[in-house]
This record gives sequence, structure tokens and C-alpha cells, in this order.
Amino acid sequence: MKYALSLLAASVMAAPALATNIVPGSEQSTPILLQGGTIFTVTEGRVEGDLLLEDGKISAIGSNINTPADTRVIDISGHHVYPGLIALDTTLGIIEISALRATVDTNEVGSVTPEVSAHTAYNADSEIIPTIRYNGITHAQVVPQGNLVRGNSSLMNLDAWSHRDALVQADVGMHVSWPAVGINQSWWESRSPEEQRRAQQQLRDQLNDVFATARAYSDAQQAGVQQREDIRWEGMRGLFDGSKRLFIHADDRRQISQALDFSAEQGIDIVIVGGRDAWMLADTLAEQNVAVIFGDGYGLPAREDDAYDTAFSTPAKLAEAGVDFALAYPGYWDTRNLAFAAGHAVAFGLDHDAALYSITMAPAKLMGVEDTLGSIEVGKSASLVVSRGDILDPLTHSVEYMFIDGRMVQMTNKQRQLWEKYRQR
Amino acid sequence: MKGNWRLASFVLAALGTVTVTASANQTTPVRGLHDNSPTLVALQNATIVTQPGEQLENATLVIENGKITAVNRNNRAPDGARIVDAAGYTIYPGFIDPYSNYGVPEAGSAERYRRDRPAQYDNQREGGNASNDAIHAQVRWVDHLSYQSDQAKSLIEQGFTAVQSARMDGIFRGQATTVSLAEDIPNNLVYRAQGYQFSSFDKGSSTQQYPASLMGSIALIRQTLSDARWYNDAQGRTLSGGGVLEHNAALSALSNLSERGVVFEADDEQDVLRAKAVFAEFDVPVTFVGSGYEYARLEDMRSTESQFILPLNFPAAPDVSAQYAELDVSVADLRHWERAPGNPAMLADAGIDFAFTLHGLDDRKDFLSNVRKAVAHGLEPQTALAALTTNAARIAGIEDKSGRLSAGYHADFVVSRGDLFSDGEIVSVWTQGKEHRIQPMHPTRFTGTYDLNIDGQTFELALEQGRSISGKLSRGDESVDIARVSGDTHEVRFVVNMDTFDLDGVYRFSLQTHSRDALSGSYTDARGNEQSLRAERQGEPESRTAERAEAGNPEYVSQLTFPNIGLGLTEAPQQQNFIIKNATIWTSSDAGVLENADMIVRDGRIRSIGEGLSTPRGYSEIDGSEMHITAGIVDEHSHIAISRGVNEGTEAITSEVRIGDVVNPDDVHIYRSLAGGATVAHLLHGSANPIGGLGQTIKLRWGQNAEGLKFKETPPTIKMALGENVKQSNWGITNNRYPQTRMGVDAIIHDFFRTAQEYEQARADYDNLSRRERNRTAPPRRDYRLDALVEILNGERHIHAHSYVASEVLALMSTAEELGFNIHTFTHILEGYKVGKEMAEHGARASTFADWWAFKIEAFDAVPYNACAMMEQGVLTSLNSDSNDLQRRMNIEAAKSVRYCGMDEHEAIKMITLYPAMQLEIDDMVGSLEEGKHADFVIWNNHPLSAYAQVQQTWIEGVKYFDREADLENRERIQIERHALIQKILAEGDSARRGAQNGYKPEQPSWHCDSDHDVWNHHLLNTQLDSGHQHQHSHGGQH
Repeated sequence: MKYALSLLAASVMAAPALATNIVPGSEQSTPILLQGGTIFTVTEGRVEGDLLLEDGKISAIGSNINTPADTRVIDISGHHVYPGLIALDTTLGIIEISALRATVDTNEVGSVTPEVSAHTAYNADSEIIPTIRYNGITHAQVVPQGNLVRGNSSLMNLDAWSHRDALVQADVGMHVSWPAVGINQSWWESRSPEEQRRAQQQLRDQLNDVFATARAYSDAQQAGVQQREDIRWEGMRGLFDGSKRLFIHADDRRQISQALDFSAEQGIDIVIVGGRDAWMLADTLAEQNVAVIFGDGYGLPAREDDAYDTAFSTPAKLAEAGVDFALAYPGYWDTRNLAFAAGHAVAFGLDHDAALYSITMAPAKLMGVEDTLGSIEVGKSASLVVSRGDILDPLTHSVEYMFIDGRMVQMTNKQRQLWEKYRQR
Repeated sequence: MKGNWRLASFVLAALGTVTVTASANQTTPVRGLHDNSPTLVALQNATIVTQPGEQLENATLVIENGKITAVNRNNRAPDGARIVDAAGYTIYPGFIDPYSNYGVPEAGSAERYRRDRPAQYDNQREGGNASNDAIHAQVRWVDHLSYQSDQAKSLIEQGFTAVQSARMDGIFRGQATTVSLAEDIPNNLVYRAQGYQFSSFDKGSSTQQYPASLMGSIALIRQTLSDARWYNDAQGRTLSGGGVLEHNAALSALSNLSERGVVFEADDEQDVLRAKAVFAEFDVPVTFVGSGYEYARLEDMRSTESQFILPLNFPAAPDVSAQYAELDVSVADLRHWERAPGNPAMLADAGIDFAFTLHGLDDRKDFLSNVRKAVAHGLEPQTALAALTTNAARIAGIEDKSGRLSAGYHADFVVSRGDLFSDGEIVSVWTQGKEHRIQPMHPTRFTGTYDLNIDGQTFELALEQGRSISGKLSRGDESVDIARVSGDTHEVRFVVNMDTFDLDGVYRFSLQTHSRDALSGSYTDARGNEQSLRAERQGEPESRTAERAEAGNPEYVSQLTFPNIGLGLTEAPQQQNFIIKNATIWTSSDAGVLENADMIVRDGRIRSIGEGLSTPRGYSEIDGSEMHITAGIVDEHSHIAISRGVNEGTEAITSEVRIGDVVNPDDVHIYRSLAGGATVAHLLHGSANPIGGLGQTIKLRWGQNAEGLKFKETPPTIKMALGENVKQSNWGITNNRYPQTRMGVDAIIHDFFRTAQEYEQARADYDNLSRRERNRTAPPRRDYRLDALVEILNGERHIHAHSYVASEVLALMSTAEELGFNIHTFTHILEGYKVGKEMAEHGARASTFADWWAFKIEAFDAVPYNACAMMEQGVLTSLNSDSNDLQRRMNIEAAKSVRYCGMDEHEAIKMITLYPAMQLEIDDMVGSLEEGKHADFVIWNNHPLSAYAQVQQTWIEGVKYFDREADLENRERIQIERHALIQKILAEGDSARRGAQNGYKPEQPSWHCDSDHDVWNHHLLNTQLDSGHQHQHSHGGQH
């Protein structure tokens, strides 16, 4: 029998096979020079050269960099350097085991819960998170779930002692699930088409009412006539002064269309999240300058007759039409496949640089952190990853080093530790 | 004759209301007077269609005492007969519905599932009933028959005079009875007391858990038919192993089924084939109640050599009126809307005999118009009539009594004005010689202009008869509207203000029909004087020229493909002989990865692989430069292409159910998986019970039927399962099924295998008896559930055991070793890395996920290094999908072992080709590219493990089933067809929306390992369902 592997885990770190606690990286105390890699800056092309990290920031890029005396030099020749990947639309840290209700903190009671903020429940000690980092993701947007007005998402860095330490941007946006459209003919749908339509209309009416009330509250606060606080409408105030983004989760063409109309009526800019059918409206989205967080990179065709690669080729179509889009991999444990999904989009027509952009700079902009994250530029946060090769391809993806704000992140996790443990057997 | 037709029709109308008849008195004492009214009637001057294709003009039908006594070509009526002038009318044999529930009590509906109520596993035993409440075989519906006036009326209005009837509830529904729709005591209605046994796959009102899936229903039929045989066989013999033979009325009722046959109601054309197969195992002939989808697999329908009963519930068009409403509508549904009315014509053209039924129609009043629609779609009127009469009579077992007009037959017939198959209308229906008038036979058409004389002056009366009557009375240039018009079929009354004509006051008129040319009556003037009046018609009354029906010649804009969905194929792809040149070939064999290599394919097999091969004469060449070739992907664990239920999760041990019974060749995921390079899928039962159903390996031969998909050389397999699903941890229902712990899982497996050993011994003991003793002794009852376990014990059936944690894996192997069987392959086996050594010692193989974890507690120790770790420990390891999504991209799953633990790339490819083939024991045929093996391979445009790889072509046995270029071209064709159909619907307007509101196949969910629900009662037990409509980003669905 020929089961033996000819080559096994050459790159396995020679870490002691002890199940140790994974300690967050400590603050950068000495300069670090990453020497000899291929640097994917995302915004300024590829650079063959060195990268100097000081005080948690990128201080120099190129060759012949003058390094302070105490600089720690890491030879990364042959390796690739990327900005840390940013995972949007996740439930990281708020689900540990989906089948165990006690570990699920995603849905609050009721369909209108604008008062909740995801980061308050974020478990920085989640066993899932180190496995996400392992595949190059340094930051994640954590999003409440729900069927109408869900609440606020926050941007977290993935290596921290607590959610306070992890928090990069609190309450970056309010999330709305656009009411369902269309008629479900499945046998498990017991409502008639007419009842379904009525229910959908009721939800849309409710959404309009919520926004009308929240706007009135905001105006009253502005005018100083609102005597008492309403925590729900307080949570939505930022939408009316432009300080908070509105993320609308919409997959069906008709949902996206209605969301665009809603945006125009409300005078509030929106970001479409999900966007399964966004390719059908690509030109409109580009024209109206509405960004899309596409979350279905490996998606099954939604309809029996749809082309098998409808989801695979959607990023390419959005790019071609000039839509501002980011790629997401919604979920928790499986979000670690984000880079591979971007690679898959390349297989179906997306430019490689655009794919990389869609999981780095594009999400940084949507999170409002483009000045510090999303690309490798001097002065930006030293949040980056070093991979043995092309990070979008599982054949070459192998993250050897990760830095978040200059802190060197431990690359082990529960899964590696278990593996290492049982290799001792 | 003309003088007295009016009288005759009045008399008959009165007779129709007489309820006492002479024949009622056979055994019923007469209280009051004896009814000896004459019953001799002659319908004269008629066009008589005695049977399909035989038509007499100007003939007379003579009836007496409820029977036809003569059909007189010479148009003579016997002396003393009451004469009905049927000049201008056509008489057809009465229609017969061979699939009805008329006259029998309705079933209660299944109670809604309630979470707080314990699941019901056993049924109430009474009177020797079957152990399953879906089986009512012992019921003789004739015993429950009663006359139902409203039901009878609505059937008679459509021309029906007799039906074959039983309660439509359950899997074996009891024996139907064929009865007249006449109004009488049931004793006089029965044409055939014991008709067919009715049957279906739907357990109906039974609240018992089992069966909850289609395959469960099929297994129950198989076991029941086998039991019926055994029960019959065991009568009067000693039981092997002792004991007394139970009384079982249900089995007894089924004992002669192979002589009598069943009428089986099929939900779709696939069910026809499934039912045919299971009943054929017991030589039971089947008459099918169709679904209207038979045209989609016409050749298969013909191959059943069965007759059909077709409902005419043509579907209403999908609602596409709103913009983008079509996003919810499939091409398949649009096509079916267009072609469903053509189904009868297509069956007729294929030489399949059929009858029609009213069953399934939302509104019975649509029946005749739907018959005409079928005719407009190409059905010969004569065939349509046969479907309503002679064929139906044969199926209902009364071809010697009804269904044609012939002396000695029941006087069951339909009188129509005009040809019923074009624009004729039924005026009366006669059951057992009694008339049910639907319309007046010779109604007066008042419409016309009449000359009349009022007070000595000449007037003109113009009448217009629509739904009501209106008119004008005029003299010269002056005219007045008639007012207060009322009337009936033979009389019109109205008033006219005569001032306009310089006559005094308002006159009242009453006119009756007198003859074809005149009305007669009287008027009363302002002073109360009554004057008689005669109104002569100007010109001839309008008359209708009867239109003869002819089969239409429909033009369809839709395609008919295999399968008949948007992505189906118009013609079967052909096997080719060819050479691929200059490719990088990943052989999955010891030959390794060959650069610049060629591969010759002949007759579906790999002829040779190597460098610089020369092209055989006549072979086409495929340029493989820049391309990579791998063997077709083999998936050890798939749930695609399965109809209605992946779990028979009701009972703990269900080794009698078979995925092979429910393979669904129409599943679009077959095509989608081909587009990802998959060629073989091992379809497994779900993981809801410790011992599940039998597996079925298929090749993804898109377009073929279920049998054509099966990879028949694969050795038999079975699913077992351990852990959370089996102990119903996440089911959220009242848990009262054994087992609820891993301890109990181990115990019940032990118990059943032990029982199987005893069962096998008992069978062997019986075979060893002397011939004489065997004659006296009944053989042990065959138990399909245990049969499968015996096969496992004998090494003839391989176990694929769903498993997660180390403890349960070790426990199962211990039990197996103790009882002398082997766990062939552990599937999922997420903690295999912990016990690889023991697995290797046991001889078990493993098929795992690349990186799934954390979706439940038993998956919390899963690691993406599992494949590497198990391989290191000497366990043959493959990767499986358990998902219609992942099955499309197994190459990336394999690449993850390169990413996480540095697996050799060729080994990673083998994990999705050769190794799963070895686990299915089909590696002598598929799984690698070697001389003599099946030419199942994939052409990639890049390194097959790379994120950037895209499948270009997928071949199975030298037949190209996927071609990206062809796929791209096909997209436009689908769009064109789609929009043509939408336009056709929109152009038809409201009439397109008429018809059955639920006329399409229900959408199937994406099955997962733990999708466990009752497909008959629609009780979701565990809702991991997602569909196109409700697709969620549940990349972490449960497995």
C-alpha cells in the first residue's frame, strides 16, 4: 500500500508540541526589517525589496533602507508580503459552535434592534479566531444577524486580549436585512403567493416606519426638543448625519433595486451586502456609485437555469462594470477561506490585482479605515502578512508571519496544537 | 313527430325526479304502492356513437329497465315506447372515471406535527390490520359505499355515469369498487364489487412515523408484498421456529395481487418507474395514475408496458406579469405549462393506452374544456372518447357492462348537442336509463324578428336572447322597448306601453313557442281584454352547424430535453474515439504525472497513455497543450440526485431502504458537479440513525434516466452513523426513540447484528430440512432489514460509517470485530487523526472533510490536518463533499491538504480520484488514468489543485458530458426559449392563468446528511433546508 506521503509539512514550525495558550503579540519594541520579499502594496504595485516596521507603522519600503541599530532583520526572500486581509460580514467571536445555542450571540429578540453592537459580545478568546488568522486575515467586521434592522457592526483586529483591545472601529454601520421578495413555491412554504406578497409589503412598510421614526427622533434631538432618550433611535442617529454607514443585506435583483430606491428616498448612502444578483444591476450600481460587499464567491446558482458559474464570475462582472466592490466570505470558522474565494474569482475572469484589492483595500475603505489599513504604504499600520507564495492559491498560500499594528502574531491555533499533540502518540 | 317532441321532453324531465324505481324492490319490502311505471324509451333520429370510431347516423337507441335493449340502424322505435326526438343530437356512451373516491367516506387529515407530542412509532392494532397505518389493504370499499347526491351531480354534469372508487389515503388503500352514479340504494349501484387495490407512495393520514421518506414508502411496499406472499405460503403449515401464524387481514387481502394488479397513483414520471420496479419484483401488474409529466420520459413510460389513467389538471401559467416575477420561475415550469395539454396526444402517439380521470382537477367544470385542449394539442377525438369510455371501462373492470352503446349494456349515455370534442355541449346524461337533464333538449331560440297583429294593426317584434331577453315592438318608424321581460325556456312575457302607437295604456304579452316558425300566445290590453296572438318568424331560425372535432397540430416554442429542465440535453451525447495530445496527465497511478503526454481513448476505455503516440486512423485529436488531465473526481459521500428524503430517520435501524430506489436523474446538481470535474458520486442515506439505508453509486451521465445513471458494477454499500445525529441531539423534538446516547448506539448495533446472525441461521436451518419437512413447514419470513445486515456479516456489503469522535469510532470497531464484520470506510471521521492506528489495524479506510469544523460540539476537535495524519498512520484516506456545493470544487478541497500539511500534490489528487474509488471497490474501473480503465477524465486549463484551475471538459467513458464552450453557447438558447415562453403566456392573457394552481413539481431542498423530515406530512424535524429562494450563507450547515 502506498499511503505514505512523499513530502509532509516541510514548513511545519518546530514549535514545541505543547498545548500552550496563545498569547496576543506584544507591542512592537524594536524595529523589524522584512528583507527580500515581493511586496504587494495593493495601491502602488509590486515592489521587490525590503519593508521596515517601526512603532507599529510601516516606515519604509524599498531597497537600501537605513535601519536603526536595534533592528531585527527577518529574511523573507522568495516570500510574498500582503496587507492583512480584512474579512467583512462575519460572525467571528459571536458564534463558537453554531449548533450550541449557548455559544451563539447573533440574533436579538425582535426584528428591529438598532441598539445592539456586535463588538460587545465579541469573544476575543474564541478558539476559532486563531484559525482565521492562520490564513492571513488580520481584521474582521463582526455583524449582528436578524430579519430587518439588525444593529451595528464593528471592525475588530483578530489578535487581542479582549474586545476592547480588539476594537478598531465601533459601530461602523447599521445593518438592515432587506425584506424577502418573490414567491417561494417550495412545499415547506405554507403561505399562498398573495400572503407572501402581503407579508413582504408589511415588512417594507415597517422598515419605512422605523426610518421615519428614527429620523423624527434625530431631528428632535437636533432641535433640542427630545426630552428622553430612546436607545433604539439613538442607535440610528448616525445614519442621518452621515457618521454611520447603512449596510443593506440584499441578494435578489428586486431587493437590490428596492434598496436603491430606498436609498434615494431617504437620502442615505448605502452599501449592498450579499449582492448575489448584483451582476444583473452592475451598470446601475456603478452609475449610482453604490458599493457592494459580494458574499457568494463559491455560491450555488440561485435558480435552476442559471449558469453553473454565475456566482464565480460575478466579481469579474462587477469589476468590468466599474462597481466598487469588496469580496466577503460570510460565516465564522469558514471565513478563513476568503483568500481562496478571491483566487476562485480569478479563475473566472477577475484580474489578480483586483481580487487582492477586493479583500484588502476595498474592505478598508468600506470600514472607513483606508488611511491606516488595506495597503502597504509608508505611514500606514504595520498590519501585514508574509506568505510563502501567492496568498490567493491554496497551493502556495502559507502564512509564515503576521503583524498587526507591528505586533508579531502567534501563528498557532487549537487545530495545530491538537495535530501536534496526536503526533506524539 | 315534430308535433309531440315538446310533450316527450316534459314527461322525461318529470321522470328524472321520480325516486322510486322498479328495480329497488328486489329485496326491499314495498310499503305503499308498487311502482310499475313503464321504462321503455326510444331516442330516435340520433347520431349514435356506439363506441370510439363507430358512428350511426339517424338511428334509434332503445332502452328499458336500465339497460340498452337495441341500437336500431333503421331508426325504428318499438311499439309503445316513449319517443325522444334526438334529431340533431349525438349520443355517446357514458364516461367512466377509473380513479375516484366517490361514495366512500373521507379520511381524516394527518394531525399537524407538534413538538411537544412524542413521536408515534406504533399503531393501534385491531381486527388483524397491518403494523403500519399507511396500509389499508384489507378494506373493501364496497362495504362503505353510499349514494352521495352532490358528488354524483358534479360528476354527471361532466358526462360521467360510473366510477371506480376507493378512499385515496395511504400506501395500500384497499379494494376499489366500480359503481354507477345513479340515484339509488347502493345495492343497485355496484357494477363490480371488488375492483383494483389502489396504491401510492404517500402515507396519507397515518400519524405513524414510518415511513417519512419516499425510499421508506418503497421499502414498506416491498416488505409488505413479500409478507403477503409469505403469509399465503404459510397457511396451513407449521412455522419454522414454532409459534402460530398470526391473523393478518391486510396481508391476506394482498395475497392475490399478482393476478389482480394495482392502480398506483404516481406523483411524477419518476415515480411511475419506481413503482413499476418494486411491483415487478412481485409480478404485480400496475395501472398508473399519471401526473401529466409522462411526456418528459416517454420511452420509459412505454417500457413499463402499462396503461395509464391521466388527470387533466393542466397547470395555470406561472405568474410572470410583474417585472422580474420570472426570476422565481424555471424554464421547466414554463415548458410544462405549454406542453402539459399535449401529454395525452404524446402518450397516444407512443402507443400507450390510457383513460382520463377527474382526479386532481381543481374545478370539475374545467374537465371538458381540458379534454378539448388535449384534442387541440393533437389528441384524436376518437382516442379521447376511448379514454373516457372503453379504456376506462376496461380499467374499471366493467367493459362487458358499460362504456359502449350495445344491447345488454347499462343504459349509461350522454346526449350532446354538437360534437363534444369541438364545441358541443352536454344536454343530458342518462344513468341506468334515467335522465339527468343538464340543459333543455330543444330550447327555443327566441331571437328573431316576428310579424304580429295587435288590435288589427300590423307590428313587428324584434327579440334578442342573450343571457336575458330584450326586444323592441315597432310599427313603421315608431318603436318602443319591451319592458318587464321574464320567461323560461318556452315562454316569454313582457309589457309594452302602447301610447306611442296611439293605443291606450300598457299591454301585457305572453308568447310561447308554437313551432320552429312561430310563437303563439295572447295579450291583455288596458281594459283587461285578453286577445290571442300569433307571431310569425321572418326568415329561418338561426341554426348551428355542428363542427366536427379534429386533432390539432400544436406549435411549441419550448424544447423537450433530457432531463426536461433548462439545462437538459436535446440529444444524447455520443461516445467518441480520440487522442489527446501534449497534455500534462495526472495519472493517479504509479506512472505519476506525465508531461507532454498523449492519451488514446477507444470504445469508452483508455487504450494507451504515453509520449508521442500516433493518432489512429479516424480518431479525432484534442490539443492538450497547456492543459492538465486528471481522472474524473469520485465523491465518496454525496446526496445529490435523490428524490424526497435522504433520511428514513424515523426508526433506529432502516437497512431495508435503498437510495437506489429514489435516484433522481433530473437534479441539476448532476450537471453542476460535472462542471466541477466530478464523474462518480456515491449517494448515501443520511445520518439520522445508527444503521441507515443502502447506498447507490452513480456516474454523472447527465440526460440518462435513473437506471442509466447507476454505476451497477459497484459492490453493495450501506450507511451507518454515530454520534449527535443518531442520538437526535439537535433535532429539537421530544426524544423517545432508542438510542439517545452513544452507549445506546453501540448496544442497538450489537443487538441487530446479533439478530441478523440468528436470522441467517434460521434460514439455513430451513434449507437443511428434508423436502417433506419443508413442505410442511413455512419458510422463515424474509426480512429485508436483516437481509442487508446478513450481507454485511458475509462481507458482501460494505459499511460507510458516518462518525466524528474517537470514542464512538473505537466502540464501533470493537463491536464489529466481536461480531465478525468489518467497517469498510469511516466517512467524515473528523477525529480519525486520534485513532488512525486502530483504524489501520481494523482495516478501515477514511473519507473526511478538508477543513470543516466547529458547527457542532462533536466537530470541535476537527483539524484540517486530518487527511495527512490518517495517511501517515496508514489509513487510506479520501475527501468527500456531503454537499452539492462542495462537490463542484473538490480539487480545492484536496489542495487544502497541500496548504495545511504539505501533502504531495499527486497524493492530494488521488484523494479525490483513486482513493475514493478504492473505498467503493471500483478502482479496477475508475479512479486513475491507466490502460483499460474507463475513459472518465477531466480537462483543466491549469494545475488542477490551483485556485485558478477551471474545468474545460468532463468525459465519462469516452462521452463528453460537460464542455465549457458548449455551456457558454447554450446560455443564450435558454434565454431565448425562456423569453419566448414568457411572451406566449403574456400574449394569452387571463386564460393562461386558468388551470391547476399547484400544477408543477415542488422544489426539492438541498439534502444534507441530517435533513430529516417527513416528506409526506411536511413536518420538518430538523430544518437544515435551503433552496434557491432561501439560500443562506450556511457554509457551515450541519453534517
